[in-house]
Amino acid sequence: MDDNLKIVGKRVVRSDSYAKVTGSALYTADLKLPGMLVAKVLRSPYPHAKIISIDVSGALKVPGVKAAVSGFDAYGVKWGVFRYTQDHAMLPTDKVRYIGEDVAAVAAVDEETALEGLSRIKVEYEPLDAVFDPVESMKDGAPQIHNEYKNNINIHVHIDVGEVDKAMAKAYLVREDTFKAAGEAYAMMEPYAVVASYANGYLDLWMPNAGPHVRAKALSNLLKIPLNRVRVRHINSGGAFGGRSEVAPGDLVASLLTIKSGRPVKLVLSREENATSSRQVHDIVATVKTGMKKDGTIVAKDYKVIYDGGAYSSTGPIATSIPFYVYEECYRFPNVRYNGYRVFTNKGIRGMYGCHGRAFLAGNEAQMDMMAKELGLDPVDVRLKNGLTAGEMTATKSKITSCGLKDTIIEASEKTNFKKRWKKKEKNRGIGMGCVAIMCGFPMGFRSGSSCYVKINDDGQVTLVTGLVDNGQGNESMVIQVASEVLGVPMEDINLVNADTEVTNLDPGAYSQAAAYVGANAVKAACENVRKRLISIASEKLGVPESDIDLKDRIAYSIKQPDKRMPISWIAREAFFRGEPIVATGSFFPDIDFEREWVTRPWGQMAGTFSFGTSVAEVEVDYETGKIIVPRFTAAHDCGRPINPMAVEGQMEGSIQQAGIATITEGNMWYRGFLLNPDLLEYKVPLACDMPEIDTIIVSSHDPKGPFGAKEGGLTVRMNAYSAIACAFTNATGILFEELPLTPDKVLNLLEKNKGVK
Amino acid sequence: MKTVKVTINVNNEKIKLQVKPYETLLETLRERLALTGAKEACSLGSCGSCTVLLNGTPVRSCLILTPEVDGASITTIEGLKEDGKLHPLQEAFMEKGAVQCGFCTSGMIMTAKGLLNRNKKPSRAEIIKSISSNICRCTGYKKIVEAVEEASKKMA
Amino acid sequence: MILPKFEYKKARTIEEALEIYSQYNGEAFYLAGGTDLVPLLKHRLFNPKVVIDIKGIEELKTITKKGGNLLVGPNATLYELKGTPEIQEKLPCLFQSLDATSCETLQMRGTIGGNIMQNTRCLQYNKSLEWRTARGFCYKMGGKTCNVVLNAKACYSNYCGDNAPSLMTVDAKARIVGPTGEKTIKVEKLFSGDGKEPFTVKPGEILKGIIIPLKETKGAYEKLTVRGSIDYPLVGVAVTIKDGSAKVGVTGIGPCPRVYELKEVNEKEINNIADKAYEDAKPVLNAVLTPAYRKKMVGVLIKRVFKRIEKGGSR
Ligand SMILES: Cc1cc2nc3c(=O)[nH]c(=O)nc-3n(C[C@H](O)[C@H](O)[C@H](O)COP(=O)(O)OP(=O)(O)OC[C@H]3O[C@@H](n4cnc5c(N)ncnc54)[C@H](O)[C@@H]3O)c2cc1C
Ligand code: FES
Ligand code: FES
Repeated sequence: MDDNLKIVGKRVVRSDSYAKVTGSALYTADLKLPGMLVAKVLRSPYPHAKIISIDVSGALKVPGVKAAVSGFDAYGVKWGVFRYTQDHAMLPTDKVRYIGEDVAAVAAVDEETALEGLSRIKVEYEPLDAVFDPVESMKDGAPQIHNEYKNNINIHVHIDVGEVDKAMAKAYLVREDTFKAAGEAYAMMEPYAVVASYANGYLDLWMPNAGPHVRAKALSNLLKIPLNRVRVRHINSGGAFGGRSEVAPGDLVASLLTIKSGRPVKLVLSREENATSSRQVHDIVATVKTGMKKDGTIVAKDYKVIYDGGAYSSTGPIATSIPFYVYEECYRFPNVRYNGYRVFTNKGIRGMYGCHGRAFLAGNEAQMDMMAKELGLDPVDVRLKNGLTAGEMTATKSKITSCGLKDTIIEASEKTNFKKRWKKKEKNRGIGMGCVAIMCGFPMGFRSGSSCYVKINDDGQVTLVTGLVDNGQGNESMVIQVASEVLGVPMEDINLVNADTEVTNLDPGAYSQAAAYVGANAVKAACENVRKRLISIASEKLGVPESDIDLKDRIAYSIKQPDKRMPISWIAREAFFRGEPIVATGSFFPDIDFEREWVTRPWGQMAGTFSFGTSVAEVEVDYETGKIIVPRFTAAHDCGRPINPMAVEGQMEGSIQQAGIATITEGNMWYRGFLLNPDLLEYKVPLACDMPEIDTIIVSSHDPKGPFGAKEGGLTVRMNAYSAIACAFTNATGILFEELPLTPDKVLNLLEKNKGVK
Repeated sequence: MKTVKVTINVNNEKIKLQVKPYETLLETLRERLALTGAKEACSLGSCGSCTVLLNGTPVRSCLILTPEVDGASITTIEGLKEDGKLHPLQEAFMEKGAVQCGFCTSGMIMTAKGLLNRNKKPSRAEIIKSISSNICRCTGYKKIVEAVEEASKKMA
Repeated sequence: MILPKFEYKKARTIEEALEIYSQYNGEAFYLAGGTDLVPLLKHRLFNPKVVIDIKGIEELKTITKKGGNLLVGPNATLYELKGTPEIQEKLPCLFQSLDATSCETLQMRGTIGGNIMQNTRCLQYNKSLEWRTARGFCYKMGGKTCNVVLNAKACYSNYCGDNAPSLMTVDAKARIVGPTGEKTIKVEKLFSGDGKEPFTVKPGEILKGIIIPLKETKGAYEKLTVRGSIDYPLVGVAVTIKDGSAKVGVTGIGPCPRVYELKEVNEKEINNIADKAYEDAKPVLNAVLTPAYRKKMVGVLIKRVFKRIEKGGSR
């Protein structure tokens, strides 16, 4: 059936787009419930201070204020993704650890009244010394941010494979460089918002989220309400990019306020609050030491990477590891040592990001090109030589099942005439290549799998129920497309009920690249079970063997005698008559080594499969102003089979913007604990006029276990586009970058420091 | 504080309202008229997600006081359909895959509509220049540009 | 983000506007396109009792030719001005700076009057009340010292208008009307050089018109930004050459735009002016690129604009 696909692999119009182009798609801030109150949060003005007291009683005296809360109204439960990282109270009662941290909140009849209420809350602080630089923070004597973590080291990931020192000593060429990158802003267009409504012991919540089930679980813990009474509802999400994976302080705030007031509560963060007080991206300092043979074979890698984690653990162990893994899943490292440190500072909380790790990844790739040049080799050959192939194991013992890395390298380089242009470069112009691999899913215990429930209604229309969530990337449309393929009904006949914890089941969520490989696989399995039932009844009714029946255009028909046919709706009705309606469930659980643990046991199978990608950037450097222009960008991505090529391209194009062009524009700026650009004006999200000509190349490599061979749709570009820009910069100037973003001031500085370099 | 009386024509419907003098057009549309298609992503004029048409010209509704538009015509994304049929821009955004999370979409479409109102056959460069008034975090803009091109062709 | 409370008044005539202004004892702001003012109000940088909408004043809207001059009403939008044939044909520098201002949508709302009269900006000033309260009010907000140049009793905010420097290079004049009468001054005289109070106009005075001499000129505008649209200038350089002499306007650094004159246009003069403007520029760390870099770019861009003009002027 695979090679005769009717709809999978086609450029279909996304199922969610009609609502979005007509303005009828609802996002959290659009919701209005009867009697709804407006919430506002009082935030810490200090980067680090002891809380002496919080008195919200003044707020309650303001007419129109219906509830006011602080951490003293919560249950003292701290949130953490892991048992060993439970350090985030959401509403602290001991001390505040960054400027903008949630301290207290009110709910009132309108925003003006809520603001008035906030101004009446009295908080007494005792300011403490604060620390803003992770390297300083690790030193003895630095202000201690959490008592439990010595030297403010939140997480230390230590990996040591083979014999690094020996191999390094024997290497023909060794190079060590340090690269820095400013943390980025997620800058999803929708500022964080949450609506909470508590009635009769049940709490309903709407918020943009990348995993409703983990969110509900966290809130159930924080509020001590049974899980089936915390219901995270479906709502459109205006982007996430990794920044909406975890429970947010606002969720707790809105929940406490609705419980107290007995009325629905809406909290909408301002753009500034979204930047300072939701999640930010890690600033990174990466030291990369590489040993190579004369022929370009990498013999050893030795890494020390420091991640500025901000005030709390968040996804700490994962964030401290991912940049390394996506690199070791791409290249063969016989000997490798990785020391990753996530360090607390008195800045906003840092989470996972779709483009996480740019200092590390771009640093590795740009350094590789410098070494290749020194050895008289070219980047394409070096990448091909060191790239992993199907059947191989990564350094930390993950087996690569399907692998299109080589194809992406070759296709991207041929399309851009890479080899020739890299060697014989024009003045001030450069070309560069970045490669990476991405795990499709990672170990999340029993939450690593997904399941789906399907029913055929009496008119033959289909209802799909799955925990899978969409943050804009098109997951919803994808699973409808998959169901349409299996069931032989058009996409418009399928109603999707998803990401609603009251009715849907666990799903890994939209932050580990598992939506296609796991979520859609579960949908496919459920639909196949339904299909079996449909075919069995049709076979009986039409008097032909089951193997002769196919489903298409709402019809079950005999392949050999096509005039023998019946509508699927008839089969559904027949099934109801028999008292056995056509319903089915299906699940998918990836082949992962669940003994694997990020800190204590960093080896074993990481994910069911891996995607691969190669980006090629072309740049022009203005030697007078330091401005970099990117005239063209080519990205090749092995996504397995693209379920909707248009959606995959869209992901790739967005990644070229968010990771690629961002390399020259985006970075958070700080003055001590103050974020200087928490907005959309001074934080530079690239605009249409900043974008290059784009070529996207989808490389299909049928994954044996992916749904119709699919893996993941575009994330590799999100993690190699900056490498391509950094490498192209090196090719153009002969200089390695030191710090991202490569804004014109930094570029000019580099050019001046390295005058004479060719 | 005294409210201000305004009459505005919103999506071809004449509406009389009493608004706060310091109320923005975006607030009026979203909170009073339940037209939530225009989005508030920055509230400071930096992003364009709140773009609507004021007498046919795109404006950032988060920067406009409702009393300023007394007597004017406002078109929002909800008013773009004609006779129940999608506007070519809406169709093209769907067909070209120009929509991802959708949060910027209504602002983008209204900006593009403003462009087509004053320039029936914009060049690619003119389209890029025009939609560079708006931020999209998801798409990389390529498919948005293609959608506007496609719509202008369809409308020709 | 909601606005603070204020009243809204629409003026039909200049007299009416002045009248309302004095009724409210100056706790008032004139409102043109609002694209500069509304964000400032949302941030609670000002809390006026009334906002006086001057868009309804007919005489402030018109663009007319009179006696070798273009008389521009301050309420003309940037987009309208950009489309004016006289500007397109004779004043390339102004045309280019208009075209480089913010983005198309904002050009269609923003007026030239508001553009000239826009407040100065700083990374630590254009922030919410909560942000600024946590940081402590700076000199411009009424605090004791600057938050960027620590302990300085002065304001180092940047004037980021794109078009005032071009207007200065084409010898434009501003007509000001106030309670005490009317006057016409050079555009450069509008600026006080003080970041805290960047304009010389007295409270309540209205910019009534801009007088732009219509002579054949050559010129160009260079704007340094991180992105290709929306962004304010980090440095902006306007150059107009007329009858063999030239004027150079510099914006984006410090509280007022500066203008320089070249008696003759030759390499030596250009280098002299570039050096002088470089010396004069005193940027501090209050914009997204480093001060040293922005300072350097003043000279670089000046030379570059002249080169571009030599080559025909277009980008
Ligand atoms: C995201 C964004 C980006 C921007 N980028 C740029 C940029 O790149 N370059 C740039 O130059 N500007 C930029 N601006 C600022 C602004 O859009 C323009 O300067 C615009 O031209 C201001 O005009 P306005 O009519 O909207 O002014 P308003 O906001 O209405 O007025 C601005 C000030 O001028 C006063 N004023 C207005 N008219 C008169 C008058 N006739 N007499 C006396 N006082 C008056 C007002 O009281 C107010 O204090 C940007 C704004 C935003 C929101
Ligand atoms: S919300 Fe109006 S421009 Fe961003
Ligand atoms: S589609 Fe998400 S911001 Fe444009």
